[in-house]
Amino acid sequence: MLDFLPQQIFQFDPLALFFLCVIFIVCLPSAIYSFGYLKGKYSSSKITLSWFLLVVFVLSMAAVVSVGNALIFLVAWEIMSLVSYFLVVFDTTHEKSIQAGMIYIIMTHIGTAFLVAAFLILYQQAHSFDFMAIKNACLVMPARTKDIVFLLLLAGFGTKAGIVPLHVWLPYAHPQAPSHISSIMSGVMIKTAIYGIIRFVIFLLGVNSSWWGILILILAVISCLAGIIYALMDRDIKRLLAYSSVENIGIILLGVGLAMLFISKRMPYLAVFSLIAGFYHLVNHAIFKGLLFLCAGSVYKATGTRDIEKLGGLIKKMPQTAVYFLLGAMAISALPPLNGFVSEWLTLQAFFLGAFNSTGGMKLFLGICAALLALTGGLAAACFVKGFGVSFLGLPRSHYAESAKEISLSMKLGMFFLSLLAVVFGLAASLIIKLLARVAGAAMNIDVSSMSFSLNNFTLSPQIGEGAYISAPLLGLWLIVLGAAGFAIYKLFGKRRRVYKTWDCGYYKLDARNEYTATAFSKPFRIAFSFFLLPYRKTQKIRESFYHVKSITYETYTTKVFKKYIYEPLLALVFRSAKSMRRLQPGSIHLYLGYIFVTLLLLVIFTR
Amino acid sequence: MKEIILFGILVSTYFMVIAKRMPALIRSFGYQSFFLFLATFAIAWGEDQPELYIICGLLFIIKVSLIPYLLYRITNKIKAGQDLGLIINSQLSLFCALGFTYLAWIFSARLFSSLNQSLVSMPAVAFFMVLTGLFLMVSRITALAQVVGLLVMENGLFLLASTVSGGMPFFVEIAIFFDVFVSVVIMGFFVYRINKLFTHIDVGKLSNLKG
Repeated sequence: MLDFLPQQIFQFDPLALFFLCVIFIVCLPSAIYSFGYLKGKYSSSKITLSWFLLVVFVLSMAAVVSVGNALIFLVAWEIMSLVSYFLVVFDTTHEKSIQAGMIYIIMTHIGTAFLVAAFLILYQQAHSFDFMAIKNACLVMPARTKDIVFLLLLAGFGTKAGIVPLHVWLPYAHPQAPSHISSIMSGVMIKTAIYGIIRFVIFLLGVNSSWWGILILILAVISCLAGIIYALMDRDIKRLLAYSSVENIGIILLGVGLAMLFISKRMPYLAVFSLIAGFYHLVNHAIFKGLLFLCAGSVYKATGTRDIEKLGGLIKKMPQTAVYFLLGAMAISALPPLNGFVSEWLTLQAFFLGAFNSTGGMKLFLGICAALLALTGGLAAACFVKGFGVSFLGLPRSHYAESAKEISLSMKLGMFFLSLLAVVFGLAASLIIKLLARVAGAAMNIDVSSMSFSLNNFTLSPQIGEGAYISAPLLGLWLIVLGAAGFAIYKLFGKRRRVYKTWDCGYYKLDARNEYTATAFSKPFRIAFSFFLLPYRKTQKIRESFYHVKSITYETYTTKVFKKYIYEPLLALVFRSAKSMRRLQPGSIHLYLGYIFVTLLLLVIFTR
Repeated sequence: MKEIILFGILVSTYFMVIAKRMPALIRSFGYQSFFLFLATFAIAWGEDQPELYIICGLLFIIKVSLIPYLLYRITNKIKAGQDLGLIINSQLSLFCALGFTYLAWIFSARLFSSLNQSLVSMPAVAFFMVLTGLFLMVSRITALAQVVGLLVMENGLFLLASTVSGGMPFFVEIAIFFDVFVSVVIMGFFVYRINKLFTHIDVGKLSNLKG
């Protein structure tokens, strides 16, 4: 009768502990950062409220990853969603916050609805919400049911993770929250969805057909590309980071999807390796995206704007923030020897190994995925060149940027901690991989004690990947040596430094308005991906004569295809059906009484 | 004897269904309440309960005299035409009412099949009154007709309660009487206001108020 009550409440297995660690390493610096960030921006009662919400938020996330019962999981999940909604609308004075919160809460509840459906099916099979009971029941579950549950779980968790095309809420909600919250939301909260996929699909359900992994891979590749292309187009620094989160979730899911594919193909070593890559990128993304959001928050706090077209020259005003942002940008662009490089290398390596060890169409598919991942990496680099270059280099483009000042100590501390982690996770890759191997093994029930992923404590080398070695510390050393050599050569043979204004091509009156803008920077990409972005532009010239243009207005927009071709028709459909439902409620008292009367008559007629 | 009283209730209700104008409706309501009073009195006589006598008295004072009197007064006052505004004309209404009678009979026979025939007829009439009251509310346009329809439903419930359980608890009964009385006063007042404001009491026009 009461078998839905939990037998086991918590379950601290390696998977849960890993996610708890990720939560901890992002939430701690964000909390420290918020001391400085909130001060002077909000009233003291609002700050207290923010702390309360932050604590509940972090605790609910911790509960999500550590409970051992689907029902409690759902409760924790819902608390997490609601609290994060309150945090998104924290800036209640902004119209945009309310709108973003609305989109967020609708999308997140659609996701939860899918989860509820999946859990009910699982309950019907297992007669219990406990993970262990579900796991046992899943062994004998019919394949068709498993497929349905998988699709429901994917839709449910995919909404939270921000897989394209379920990502629409993410670029609205993440930028609107206070920056330390954005950092936690982007760094950790969307990862709980990855946790859900790993816990429920890989750990409990058990992968039984290879199309699951392929589906996730396809979605992940689309997320990668769409995310980074949108990020490249955006000029709001926080929205840019939010889109980049979509991309990075895609990269993480590439690892997860590959792992699922290899499980179904009975290749345990590769499965563990891919999941390690996924986990590694997960923790890395938590670190550098947390860092970048904190930096963006610092810029916002110092200048009062998030529009990178209005920034510029901040490296002189806020040198420390600039360094941290640069570190984060390098890490996210997968530049050695930072952490992003290691995990993307691992993911690519997993693809290559998979392609080498499979035949036919699968080989081609994995190869294409790897190529698209590489493209994503390149675009990410371009995106962050834009993000860093336009906002930190050059001259200030507006009074916002001119009046910027370096931010307070606690904010610097938070950023310092995360950038330190970004370096450490890059250099100590071999050690971390050994830990992650245990987590991945536990998540997939594979014994990893006989597998080795590194040659020694410095060099990574997959067991079956002949000739694929990488050593981040060594690379770092090389970079330092080469850099030092270059510097020495410059010092020895270079000309004397001449202090002059920024290069101006012989014009003498160039100012900030002549600078290269973010829109201009991203134009080649807008053209290259015009089939996806569907850009349109409007040019308006006012001429005095044919040769003399007095003023020129140039506008360019890109079409959000998913919004236009999926969500808007869907919304229109909902509104149309709602309108036709309204005919039931015309406001006539007689009709309402008539409804009651008919009901009564039917009751009288059909009562037995 | 009881059958004659029930027959009276039934016939007065049919009168209400075919009534086209307000005074006829109110008069029939008075008849109906009077027969209800008789029925209650018969039960009180048979069971020898002093409380029931009090209820009978109240019934007579409030439903047989006071409420019809108030309704007459409102009708005369508003002068908006005493037409009821039939959505369903009186012949068709009568057919409907006959159908309700049959339905109510079937229903109560199904519910009280353990009792003997004579006891089934009373709840049947009660159900019939409830259905007809609601029917009046749905199929008459004016607000006053809806007040009367509600009163008919209440009469039906009263009859049902006194048949099935020998009446509701005394204080509940008193409270209901009071409620009904107050509601008539309030609704009368409202109807009066509606009439002043809109110069008619067509409830359908209220839908103009919605956004």
